[in-house]
Amino acid sequence: MKKAAIIGLCLVLMWGTTGMAMAKTLNLGTLSPLTGPYAQDGTDIKQGVQTAVEVFGPVEGFDKVEVMPGDSACDGGKATMAANKLINSGANVVIGAYCSSATEPAQIPLMEAKIVMITPASTNERLTQKGYKYFFRMPPRDDVQAWSTVQFLEKKLQAKTVALIDDKQTYTAGLAANIKRFAEENNLVKIAAHEHITPGDSDFTAVLTKIKSINPDAVYMSVYQPEGSKMIQQVRKLGLTSAFITEDAVYHPKFLEVGGPAAEGVYLTFAKAPDTPERQEFEKTYKEMWKVDSVGSYAYYAYDAAMMVLAAIKKCGTFDADTLEKTLRENTWQGVTGEIKFDDKGDRKLAHIVWIVKDNKFVSYWDPLTGKDL
Amino acid sequence: MDLTALLLQQMVNAIFLGSIYALIALGYTMVYGIIELINFAHGELFTAGAFIGVIVLSALQQAGWVESHFVLTLIIVFGLAMAYVAVLGVAVEHVAYKPLRNSSRLSALLSALGMSIFLSNGMMLSQGVSDRAYPQVFGLQAIEILGARITKGQIFIILLAIALMVALQLFVHRTRLGKAMRATAQNRTMARMLGIDIDQTIRITFMIGPALGAAAGVMVGLFYGAVRFDMGFIFMIKAFAAAILGGIGSIPGAMLGGLIIGVIEVGWAAFLPSAWKDVTTFTVLILVLYLKPSGLLGESVSEVRV
Repeated sequence: MKKAAIIGLCLVLMWGTTGMAMAKTLNLGTLSPLTGPYAQDGTDIKQGVQTAVEVFGPVEGFDKVEVMPGDSACDGGKATMAANKLINSGANVVIGAYCSSATEPAQIPLMEAKIVMITPASTNERLTQKGYKYFFRMPPRDDVQAWSTVQFLEKKLQAKTVALIDDKQTYTAGLAANIKRFAEENNLVKIAAHEHITPGDSDFTAVLTKIKSINPDAVYMSVYQPEGSKMIQQVRKLGLTSAFITEDAVYHPKFLEVGGPAAEGVYLTFAKAPDTPERQEFEKTYKEMWKVDSVGSYAYYAYDAAMMVLAAIKKCGTFDADTLEKTLRENTWQGVTGEIKFDDKGDRKLAHIVWIVKDNKFVSYWDPLTGKDL
Repeated sequence: MDLTALLLQQMVNAIFLGSIYALIALGYTMVYGIIELINFAHGELFTAGAFIGVIVLSALQQAGWVESHFVLTLIIVFGLAMAYVAVLGVAVEHVAYKPLRNSSRLSALLSALGMSIFLSNGMMLSQGVSDRAYPQVFGLQAIEILGARITKGQIFIILLAIALMVALQLFVHRTRLGKAMRATAQNRTMARMLGIDIDQTIRITFMIGPALGAAAGVMVGLFYGAVRFDMGFIFMIKAFAAAILGGIGSIPGAMLGGLIIGVIEVGWAAFLPSAWKDVTTFTVLILVLYLKPSGLLGESVSEVRV
């Protein structure tokens, strides 16, 4: 009897608390690396979502909107654990993760739990090719990025040879493989070398010296920002003369800060967003709210994802995945990263442009779609 | 780049990396030599040194000292970083290891791991999660010798590392305190009977080892250009491998081990598939331990250490 009473009491308490939570609070989960080498981008993403919640204000039908930060640590295992924790603590929508290698395994529990997941950063094309209808992506895909890079190599730089460096993670290795595929299809640029580094390492002199001895026209760094910032300094110290091209994970104010004069002349691919008053307003709010001098590149996507989700929930009145997914897909949203319209896979139509580092700033340089200077 | 230049350049790369590993490895080996404990917090002490370095250096750069008093700036930066971490090392010993000196080895080991996590998180909270840029006071210019390039900063760092290692050897073999250290390492009970202050000797070991690690931390910052709270981990693993490879407890062994790990890493990445670099490093470690369990210059357990 006593046992039955205790079980009964437990059930009442459980239902009671979940019932209370579901009735009034909208829980916005985030997944991003808050610890480890990519914690800077992870923090940007979390803060982007928190800024959106602050800016959007109250959502009809809910007493309050709460952000639940999850730490995906750029690690498959930890990301899955964090995703499960978010599910168990009642997250209604999840924005994340950052590294493709963390997003991919975290998709599984979230999709099974029927929770809409929007990644503000992961660009590996595989993520949207699994038929998950509750999964959306804010930035353009890596095959688009690789195509733009190869166009730039062929048409603008007119490079004959390129060396690739990646750090063997899902995103970096995938991107390097895409570059290789496009380059081999067109057969204008030869892959002179394909080298690998270890994530978290500091010393890349051995690999860079090896590339220096081959002396390719261009070198493609498929790495994340912390490694990229250190690598470019060693490139200058070793005196490599090849053109250096890198990607959206390195496109971060930190690269300019750590790279300093060494970063000058590096080309990067990143989607260009129209310079709207909303974007400037967001930058101002963000800088004031978090007391920082610059806005991390993925804070924009995270902010857009959160603003869009809040607007969609306001519109359809629920966070139920099936309704919300349709609302997101059927409407066109306006964001600080441009117009947001998803295709049936959950991808946006966004194109990359090539940027160059000039006077310690990212300056738009070349458009792969038109083949013209910017 | 012709072959001579390529080989020479890779040699410079290897010696540079190896001397940094050697400096860190010394901290492990000295502590192990004297109290037979792997100081897992050593990687964090190394990071702490790098952070003190960047804080002091940034301040001095803003004050314009880098231009006006370049040498003095470097002395202050290295001096303060090493002094701070020496004090931190003694504090760590006092808090985490001294109370456990007579308990089982496992307790002390766990205490060391705990200290490592504590320090790492402390630095994360106080210094933030992202990279911190190190002022590039040596610039990017390099000197070219036979086609190989070496920057002024690299020359300075290699020379300083050698000087520190020579000084350590002289200290251990030529001074009274060094003699006391060697005696304590050989037989603590006997040393105590002969009137050596064991506590003081251990404290001094915990000052010198971490101070060398701190110097390595500043060097890493100066050359690689950025420090982060968790950067100690990768360096710790490699330096620990170097200490074991050279024979843990042996000071020349740590120096040799560091150089060997540097040469293997650079050599492999330079001429063979770079993806397998770390696999090779640790395979060599396993092979050496399999063939000579005490390490290259290590002596069997009952014999002399340090």
